[in-house]
Amino acid sequence: MNSLLDAGVAIYVAMAVALSVWVSLFIYLWRIDSQARELKRQLERERAKGTDEQSPAPPRATVTRVSAAEPERETVEK
Amino acid sequence: MAERLGQVGKLLVGIWLAGVVVAMFLVVPQYEGLGDAGRIIIMHVPTAWVSVLAFAVSAIYSALYLWKRRPEHDDYAVAAAESGFLFTALATITGMIFSQVVWGVYWNWDPRQTSIFVLLLIYAALFALRSAIEDVDRRRQLSSVYSLFAFVTVPFLIFVAPRMAESTLHPNCAFIQGSQCDGITLEVGKIGLLGDRKVQLLGLEQQGDVVTAEVLVSEPGLRDEATLRPSFNLASGEMVARPEFPGLRYQLGLEWADPATGSALQHIEAPGTGLLENQRTLFTFLASIVGFTGLFIWMLNLRASLLGVQWALAQREGARP
Repeated sequence: MNSLLDAGVAIYVAMAVALSVWVSLFIYLWRIDSQARELKRQLERERAKGTDEQSPAPPRATVTRVSAAEPERETVEK
Repeated sequence: MAERLGQVGKLLVGIWLAGVVVAMFLVVPQYEGLGDAGRIIIMHVPTAWVSVLAFAVSAIYSALYLWKRRPEHDDYAVAAAESGFLFTALATITGMIFSQVVWGVYWNWDPRQTSIFVLLLIYAALFALRSAIEDVDRRRQLSSVYSLFAFVTVPFLIFVAPRMAESTLHPNCAFIQGSQCDGITLEVGKIGLLGDRKVQLLGLEQQGDVVTAEVLVSEPGLRDEATLRPSFNLASGEMVARPEFPGLRYQLGLEWADPATGSALQHIEAPGTGLLENQRTLFTFLASIVGFTGLFIWMLNLRASLLGVQWALAQREGARP
């Protein structure tokens, strides 16, 4: 343990500690960043899907024409 | 394409700051009087500067929110204030470590320490204010107004207060031109202040070209006294002996002396003064500012994006029956 605090070695130990703190922080940020992006994408997809479902259906109508002479049923769908 | 560029930028920030950490230990030379402790400047000052940038960005987005009332502007204002608070805390902690090495204590209510503590309290109050108001619109409006007022104090607390203070041991002269860096000229028997130490010139003694001053130095609160003997070479115009203040790494220098009139210019040689005159230190320092600015931009976008997602989720949950 004391050898790590020797004058010639201590500076490398300090550098290794500082580097590992930064690398851990970087990995943490990177992971949160990618998760946030994924979540955002998912929300946008859901929003787009929700908009599709809520859009009004094309109008449909059924017209029945009844002739007195010859009963005939004609259905026109619009 | 923009997303890919963003990813590359983030990776670059990671590599760049890792390089700064390595350079801080292997490229930056030891500083006379400070040894390895001087390296902390590569982290301490850039984090303080980036915190000022963050608070400025927070104020700009707050103003934008008050103008356009767009929620994402409020998200950015909060994210910037949070980042600023974090960077200020980092600057304070690294400063405390430096203070322990140089002054022998982590905290001694030096003007610089006091002003940064007040700044931390001001921005902590912003977060307390936000968490105390439930109505979203009212919270956004009030915190935007508060953030603008809070930013007004930043230049004063960071730049003005430490310059006004005559009694500071913070090595301002390394970075802030116009600080109390000129030392003090005293006649024999007169008393003055150097940092927060009282000094009294007791006498001058000349041997050949070398003039030695006898200076009585008193600790803050006049707890202890010590007699120091700095000297000055009249022929070469250079300082000769620079004794250290008791219990400190600060030295007392004699920059000029006139035995005929019995007056001498004394100067506190603060470790850190002239630190950036070394090219390797200067370039690592500038690289650190660039790296921390990049980190701030990343953190700002990330936090604002998280706040946006949080808001969208809350709205979705609220929309459900």
